[in-house]
Amino acid sequence: MTTQTVIRLALRSTTVGYVFALIFLPLAVLTWQSFEAGLDRFLQDLAAPQATAALWLTLETAAIATIMNAAFGTVSAVVLVRYEFPGRWLLNALVDLPFAIPTLVAGLMIAAIYGPTSILGSWLQQGGMAVLYNRPGIILAMLFVTMPFTIRSLQPVLMGLERDQEEAAFTLGAGPWTTFWKITVPSVLPGLLTGVFLTFVRALGEFGSIVIVAGNIPMKTQVASVYVYGEIESYNPQAATSVSVLILMLSFLALLLLERLTRPPGERLPRWVPRTFGGPIRREAEQPTVAA
Amino acid sequence: MHIILRKLLLAAFMAATSVVVTSPFFSEGAENRELIVAAYSVPKEAYERHIIPAFQRMWKQRTGQDVRVRTSYGASGAQARAILGGFDADVAVLSLEADVDQIVKGGLITHDWKKGPHGGMISASVVALGVRKGNPKGITGWQDLGKPGVEVLYPNPKTSGGAMWDVIAIYGAGLKLAEHNTGGKPPSAEAADAQALELLRRIQRNVRVMDKSGRESVTTFERGVGDVIITYENELLPRVKSNRPYEIIVPNETVWIENPAAVVDRYADRHKVRDVAEAFVAFLHGPEAQRAFVELGFRPLDKGDAKQTGSLPQPAKLFTVADLGGWEQISGKLFGATGLWTRVVEDSARQH
Repeated sequence: MTTQTVIRLALRSTTVGYVFALIFLPLAVLTWQSFEAGLDRFLQDLAAPQATAALWLTLETAAIATIMNAAFGTVSAVVLVRYEFPGRWLLNALVDLPFAIPTLVAGLMIAAIYGPTSILGSWLQQGGMAVLYNRPGIILAMLFVTMPFTIRSLQPVLMGLERDQEEAAFTLGAGPWTTFWKITVPSVLPGLLTGVFLTFVRALGEFGSIVIVAGNIPMKTQVASVYVYGEIESYNPQAATSVSVLILMLSFLALLLLERLTRPPGERLPRWVPRTFGGPIRREAEQPTVAA
Repeated sequence: MHIILRKLLLAAFMAATSVVVTSPFFSEGAENRELIVAAYSVPKEAYERHIIPAFQRMWKQRTGQDVRVRTSYGASGAQARAILGGFDADVAVLSLEADVDQIVKGGLITHDWKKGPHGGMISASVVALGVRKGNPKGITGWQDLGKPGVEVLYPNPKTSGGAMWDVIAIYGAGLKLAEHNTGGKPPSAEAADAQALELLRRIQRNVRVMDKSGRESVTTFERGVGDVIITYENELLPRVKSNRPYEIIVPNETVWIENPAAVVDRYADRHKVRDVAEAFVAFLHGPEAQRAFVELGFRPLDKGDAKQTGSLPQPAKLFTVADLGGWEQISGKLFGATGLWTRVVEDSARQH
């Protein structure tokens, strides 16, 4: 064995061990716990009216937050990359702040802005628009904690996107619309998809900020994570794990799909992975895959 | 697998419950004893400022030993679960009997803890209503909470022991009101239940926010949300005393709250501190600790003790959990999978 092989092996086993200990093991224990009482019990837990309502509310609000973040995130990323304006560096630095702030604090900030004692809050209330302790509050909290995802996954792609490709398409007779669809969109799609999927799964699991701004009334404004917390607190860990595992499975499926959708062309796939869905998306420049 | 999960949970609990070490300096020696107390968060000030220092003085006087008391404060249910999960507290001070019962069920408390003075209870209060200064919505009792346009706050009974008391108060008040409506003649159990359910339904319809704990609920109320907050009287009293802009209404019908304390046999024996632990619980029943509780807004344990109650209003129709059939029965009846509260909450969604 050469030293290089040893190093490579050590690195690989470290990665596998790290992921195994930190992610796989806790997930496996939780899933095992949830199915220990049988599939019937699992389905029964999910069919409980409060659980179902919480799950639907979570999916709905997370979907809305994802769409909004995809739209505004894309615009923000384009502006941050393509346009020079005073204060751009500051704006750029601010984008990452939601990752650095404890989500609980994010919740407190939203509550302070939209609360009944604030100017904005009382003004909105007079207009009959209840943001806090209502769905808009939940979506707002989700938007806040997931904001960096779309912007940060689009930025590098946009920076790497050579202007000359668009210009070439343009000079070859493509209209601005065709150029946009045929050149720009395919190039940035992997980045955008990464942002969108990460936003969605992150929003599904958000707790700290939502528990402060949502009102948390079962069947109305209680999201899945808050429901899970309530069940743990009321000596019902079984129902808590069942709902948690469902969220985990949804998130994992979403991430698998993302992995499949954004895989660069030419990369080898295990034989059991279906080749039909999605289809590879061309990256802006054919990057040679590093041979292992 | 179970053990792995338990260990993980335990680690999480340790991180979650802030362990406050009261006396960081102590010299090693045979004369030093250590007591671990797991308490719910509401009476923290009473313990830290008065009760624990007084107990330490008493113990030093009696035995010559220095006792170091390590305290952890958190939600009552969370503390009970932490103890069950391995948090080795020698004494548990919780907000409800039902939480102590969970520890009993787990086999960690083996003595009959209710046999002590006051049935194992160390502090008392009632469920009361907090309203904005000047009582702009004219709230006088429970029925006003069900009126349209009144916004009500109380925490989620799934996470808050205080909220369980709140719902029990509403339900019991509903039963009392049913009695009143039939002109003192006792109504049939079904009729009374139906009226109590209706009251619960109306109030629940007006609930705006359900926080995780009683404390958070008060914070939300102070942020300007809601017209009425349903909570412990002892949570409101010190705040009103310190000139917060709200008022306390004690409804005519309300529930008598009692908070238990018990030695956790398994851990006290393992740490060989049974004598200290028992002395601490006995001390909580004594006059010094009781005075500290009353100062903090609790009521004296003897309901009729008007001299000590001072200016606190005596509700005309005070009832206890025992009057409603005891914890086991009432928690099943209200909070079980098909319980009244569960049904009210689930029905409330259908009307929208």
